[in-house]
Amino acid sequence: MIAPQSLGAGRPSPSARRWPVPTAARLMRLELRHNAMPWLLPLAVALFGVITYRKMLAMPPFWYVRAASTQSGVVLDFIMPVAGAAAWMGSREARRRVADLLETVARPRFARLLAIWAATSCWAVAGCLLCLAAAYWATSQRASWGGPLWWPAAVAVASMPAFAALGLGAGVLVPSRFTAPVVTIAAFFVMVLTTELIVGSQSYWQISPIVSAPWDVGPDLGVATFYPYLPDLSIAQVMFLAGLTVAVVAAAAGLPRVSGPRRLRIAAAVAATAGLLTAGTAVGLAGTGTLGAHGMIAIPALHDAADDRPLQFTVCSRTAIPVCLNPAYAADLPAAASALGPVLSEVAGVPGAPVRIIQSGTTYLQGSRNQVAISLAGPVVSGTPPVYHFLLPDQLGGLQLSPVQLRAVLRSGTGPSIIASVVGDGPGASAAQRAVAAALLLAAGAPDKVLAAGTVSGVQAQGTPVDRSVPSRGRRVPGAGRGSIPAPVFAAALRFKALPASARHAWLVRNLAALRAGRIALAQLP
Amino acid sequence: MSVGRLAGPLRAGTQPSGARLRSRPATVGARLAWLYLVSRRVPAAAAVIAGCAAGLRIALIAPWDAYGALQLPLVFETVAATVVVACSASPFGEPERVAGRHLPWLRVVTAMALSAAAVGAFAAAGAGAHLSGGTLDVLRNVLGIVGLGLICAAAVGASVAWAGPTSYLVVGVYALYTQWHGPALTTPWIWPARPPHDIGAALCAGLVFVAGTVLVTIRGARDRSGQHG
Repeated sequence: MIAPQSLGAGRPSPSARRWPVPTAARLMRLELRHNAMPWLLPLAVALFGVITYRKMLAMPPFWYVRAASTQSGVVLDFIMPVAGAAAWMGSREARRRVADLLETVARPRFARLLAIWAATSCWAVAGCLLCLAAAYWATSQRASWGGPLWWPAAVAVASMPAFAALGLGAGVLVPSRFTAPVVTIAAFFVMVLTTELIVGSQSYWQISPIVSAPWDVGPDLGVATFYPYLPDLSIAQVMFLAGLTVAVVAAAAGLPRVSGPRRLRIAAAVAATAGLLTAGTAVGLAGTGTLGAHGMIAIPALHDAADDRPLQFTVCSRTAIPVCLNPAYAADLPAAASALGPVLSEVAGVPGAPVRIIQSGTTYLQGSRNQVAISLAGPVVSGTPPVYHFLLPDQLGGLQLSPVQLRAVLRSGTGPSIIASVVGDGPGASAAQRAVAAALLLAAGAPDKVLAAGTVSGVQAQGTPVDRSVPSRGRRVPGAGRGSIPAPVFAAALRFKALPASARHAWLVRNLAALRAGRIALAQLP
Repeated sequence: MSVGRLAGPLRAGTQPSGARLRSRPATVGARLAWLYLVSRRVPAAAAVIAGCAAGLRIALIAPWDAYGALQLPLVFETVAATVVVACSASPFGEPERVAGRHLPWLRVVTAMALSAAAVGAFAAAGAGAHLSGGTLDVLRNVLGIVGLGLICAAAVGASVAWAGPTSYLVVGVYALYTQWHGPALTTPWIWPARPPHDIGAALCAGLVFVAGTVLVTIRGARDRSGQHG
C-alpha cells in the first residue's frame, strides 16, 4: 500500500535532503519493497530448477538446443508466478478498499499502476535473468563450440513484462479473490495448449513465446550448428511481447476516466493503439514464416540472407584419411575416428578414394501437416578429389548415443558405405565388386558371420543416417540395398582378405578403375 | 465483504426480534450459514466451478493430441481447486474467530461441499465424452489439489494459497509430458501423472486432502488483515 505521507508529504529525512530522489523513484522503491513477486520468486526459481534446469542438463551441450529449451522452460515456469503476482498487486487498491482514498494523493492512478507493473516486472526479470545465467553458465562449461544465443534469452526476458501486464490488467478490471488464480491458470492454458493449433511451419500461433523452434522439429542437434542461428521468429516474438505489454498497460492503467488528466488518457490511447498495431504486425510476420532448409523458421521480412551461408569450421582426426566433424561434435571425434579408422586405412591412397570424410549438415523439408523430412544436405560424395559426406545419427533427431553405440553404428553403417563408394558396390554391382567390398570390410574388422549372413545391409539400413535420409532426396548410396552374399563371392572375399595388406592395396591401386567399370570377373581376384 | 453489508438485511424492516429468533433456531442457523457462505464468496465459486465444467465440456468436443487430452482436464481441475481454496479466506479475521463457535464445522463443510461439487461437475462434463482418466482421475486430482491448496492457505493465507496448486499444475503437466519424453516422473506424490487406479497416488492425494482439511478446520486459513474481496 502506498501511504500518502510516503510520497513526499511531511518532512524529508536528512538523507533525502542530502540526496534528493525523484518522487517516481521513491514510489518505485516502495513498490519494489511491497511487491508480491519477491515472495513468489523462489517458487518460480524452484520450478525452473526442478523442471527446466534438470531437463536441460540432460541435453547434449549444444547452445541452440539448450537455449531453445531454456526459453520455453523459463516462460512456462514464470508465467504463473508473474501473472498471479501482478493480478494480486493490481487488485490491491480494491481489495484493501483504498481506491477512493488514493484518488486524493498527488500521483495519478496511471502512475501508481505503472509503478506496480514496473516493480513486478523488475523482480520477474531479475529472477528470469538469474535462471538464464545459471542455464547459460552450465552450458558454457560443457559446450565445445559456439557461444551463447541471446535471442532466446531476449524472448524469455521480454515475456516477463508482458505477463505482468496481463496480470495487472486482469487484477485492475476484476478485483476479486478469484482473479489471481483464474488468470494464472488461464495464461498457462493459453500458453501451453494453443500450441496444439500449430500446423506446419506457417502458423500464426508460433508467435507464442513458448515456441523456440519449429514446433514439428523441436530443438534439433543439427540446427544452428552448420548454419548461423536465425533470429527471425525471436524478433517477431519480442515485437509481439513488447506491443502486447504497451497495449495492455496503457489500456488498463491509462484509459479509465479516473486514471488522470485528459491529456494523459489520450496519450494512453495512442500508446495502446500503437502497441496493438505492433503486436498485430508481429503476429502477421510469424504467419509468413516457413521452415528453412537449415531447420529454423525464416520470416522473409526479417530474414538476413547472410545467415544462409553455412559455417565452415571442422575438427579432424589423424586417421589415414581425416575424419572431420563440426567442432560442436568434437566429443564424438574419438569414437568416429576409432570406428572408421580401420576402413579408412584399407582405402587410403587408392585412386578414387575420398581424401576427407566430412560431417555434413542436414536439410529440413516441411511435409504435409506436421511432418518434416530430415536428410543429408548435398551429395554423399562430391568434388575432385572426392570428399565423402556423412551424418551422425543424432543429427536426425534420434536418441543420443553413447560412444560405444556411436562406434557400432558408424562401423556398421558409414564404414561399409565408404568402402562401397570406393569400389562401386551396390545394387547392380558385379560379383567381384561385392567380393572386394566384403573383403575390405572383413579386413577392417567386420565380423565374418555378419557378412556371411548378409545382414550388413540390414544393419546399414537401420543404423546409418545417410541411408535413411537419401531416399527422400532420390539419391543412392553406394552399397545400400545389398542382399545376402552368395557363397562363391564370400569365398573370394575371404581369399582376397587373406592377402597381406600391402598386396591388397597394390592390387587395388592397379585394378580399381577396371573393378569399378565391372571389367574384372570374380575368378580374376587374387 | 464488510460486516455492515452482511448485516444490512438484518437491520432492515424485517429484522426479527430476539424472541422470534430464539423460537426459530433452524431459521437463524440457516441464515448464519448463508451469511458465512456469502462472506466466503461461495456462490461465486460455485459459478466459477460450473463455468469450468462447461469449459471442459466444450473443450472435449475439439480433437486433442495425446498431450492435450491428458493435460486439459488437469488444467480445469486446478482452476476449480484454487477456487475452492480461495473460499477459505475470511474477510473478518480475528473478530469472527472469537465470536463464531461453529466456524470449524462451517469451514470443513464448505470445503468438502465445494470439492464434491467440483468433482460432480467435472464428472458430468465428461459424461458421453472422452475424458482422460475418467471420474476416478477427476476425484483424485481435485481432492489432492484442494488439499494442497488448503495446506497452503493454513500456512500463508487463503488469498495467496493459489500459488501452491498452480505451481503443482506446472509440475503435473511436466510429469505428464515425461510419459513420452523420459525419464518419467513416477513418484505417487505427483498423482496427476499416475494412472487412475494407482493406489499409491490415490493414497497420497487422499492424505494431502485430509491434512489440508484438518488444518483448515482446526486453524482456519491464515488471516491477512485488511484483505477483502
